Amino acid sequence: MGNNILELREISKIYGSVGALRDVSLTVSQGEWIAIMGPSGSGKTTMMNIIGCMDKPTSGAVILDGMDISRESQKGLTNIRRDKIGLIFQQFHLINYLTALENVMVAQYYHSMPDEGEALRALQRVGLGERARHLPSQLSGGEQQRVCIARALINYPRLILADEPTGNLDETNEGIVLDIFRQLHGEGSTIIVVTHDPEVAEDAQRTIVLEHGRVARVTHS
Amino acid sequence: MKRQTMYLRMITSSLVRRRSRMIVALLAVAIGATILSGLVTIYYDIPRQMGQEFRSYGANMILTPSGGGRITPEDAARAAALIPPENAVGIAPYRYENIKINEQPFIAAGTELEGARGASPYWFVSGRWPEETGEALIGQEVADIIGIGPGGVFTLSGITADGDGFKGEFTVSGVVQTGGAEEAFVFMSLEALGDIAGGGGLDVVECSVSAPQTELEELAERIGAGTPGVTARLVRRVTQSEVTVLSKLQALVYLVTAVVLMLTMICVATTMMAVVAERRREIGLKKALGAPNGEIIREFLGEGLLLGGLGGLLGAILGFVFAHTVSINVFGRPILFKPLLVPVTMLVSIAVTGLSCLLPVRRATDVDPAIVLRGE
Repeated sequence: MGNNILELREISKIYGSVGALRDVSLTVSQGEWIAIMGPSGSGKTTMMNIIGCMDKPTSGAVILDGMDISRESQKGLTNIRRDKIGLIFQQFHLINYLTALENVMVAQYYHSMPDEGEALRALQRVGLGERARHLPSQLSGGEQQRVCIARALINYPRLILADEPTGNLDETNEGIVLDIFRQLHGEGSTIIVVTHDPEVAEDAQRTIVLEHGRVARVTHS
Repeated sequence: MKRQTMYLRMITSSLVRRRSRMIVALLAVAIGATILSGLVTIYYDIPRQMGQEFRSYGANMILTPSGGGRITPEDAARAAALIPPENAVGIAPYRYENIKINEQPFIAAGTELEGARGASPYWFVSGRWPEETGEALIGQEVADIIGIGPGGVFTLSGITADGDGFKGEFTVSGVVQTGGAEEAFVFMSLEALGDIAGGGGLDVVECSVSAPQTELEELAERIGAGTPGVTARLVRRVTQSEVTVLSKLQALVYLVTAVVLMLTMICVATTMMAVVAERRREIGLKKALGAPNGEIIREFLGEGLLLGGLGGLLGAILGFVFAHTVSINVFGRPILFKPLLVPVTMLVSIAVTGLSCLLPVRRATDVDPAIVLRGE
């Protein structure tokens, strides 16, 4: 198990009297592609928040890259998020007054040192070299999502966490984004995708289905 | 690329590419800075402007001979030279002689007519001021007693202090009303009086000087020290009321400036709160990307300070225009441009905007980064 990048040990998250997650355990190996599915209210977002270091479990332990992050301070979680996790959002969340290139460089800026050449290469990798100087408002939804992916990859994260990455895309752009994911997986990246879409989950090696805050079933492809 | 370069790129892009939003904030800062710099300009220019106004109430410094006798023309010239020309509104030397017209006793006052006119702008003259040596300006009381008006001719006679008699014929150029003792005087040029009564010193020199009281006191001391035959005294009735009015007026402007400063802070703080509130999602995103709170505060403060600087510069320019317009309409004179006020206005605007940003930005850093995952 030395190859595990992430381990959730019986984590629970209770909001008042409501249990969003109950005794969930999960192990993710280096280079693995996992899909998390489930209906609304099943605890997917809570699990994403905990894995993405944006929330802490009420009980249980979260081991990320060999470090127990469940008792980390907010500042500590911010540092871990910056250094180890690449976030991809359903609504892209680009900064609207910065160009595509600058949006990628922002992640570098918070991580270490902005490098325009490297940011441009990251955009070229997702097929947006020609659109690097455009503002988000000048890009299509698919292009914005690819900028979001380039931003998530720029600091070489240990774990890529994607929340409904194709939720706002048409079929063509969904195909382009999934191709990029396949390519990343082929290069050894660890990917966790939260999705409603069975087609997106199809590519994952394992699919975890959550229901009422518990792991209802796990399927292997 | 250096981190500092990226930082500047981010904050300038935020201002330039979010123009419509930022113009509202810029206007809030600029309007505040305009009123502030305008009021401060007026505050500092009031003594000069009001000093000019007070000069219409007549002389505020009197030069008299030290220890009896008369002031020699040389001493008078030496004392007058000590008064800065740009501050001298009018300098009127007077030589008085007792005279009789139609056996009625009056006083003849020889003076430099142009200086007397400058030092006593409140005198109301029917007719005109004398232009030739054979002309005289008579007081209303004199005109009433001897029954003469502009264009009339009269003969005066008198005896000098040395006991010599003199006589002369003059044409009335005008009749002066002052509401004071001057209405019993006959005014003529020093030369005209010298022609009939012979040479003589001066009894008094009335000076109208545009300067604050402290400067006037220093000037009086300088004149006394530099011209031993002359004693300079301030006309307290004029200078003291000038000080009283000025200090009250300045206090009022000071109070208004303080209130405007507070209102500006509230206005800028409200605007910045709105600006920060509508960028909660952006703050959440930055936190999700790993930005520490300090970095987010630094970015918003940078934007605020840049906004403050730009608004301050704009406000300093518009403030001068505002103060100039007020000065033209109220005092009828242009206002002096004070270059120092430009950097001061910019610094104050930067400080006000920085302080106004601090609270909303500190509160904004409490934003939960998870909002970006919830799609809020």
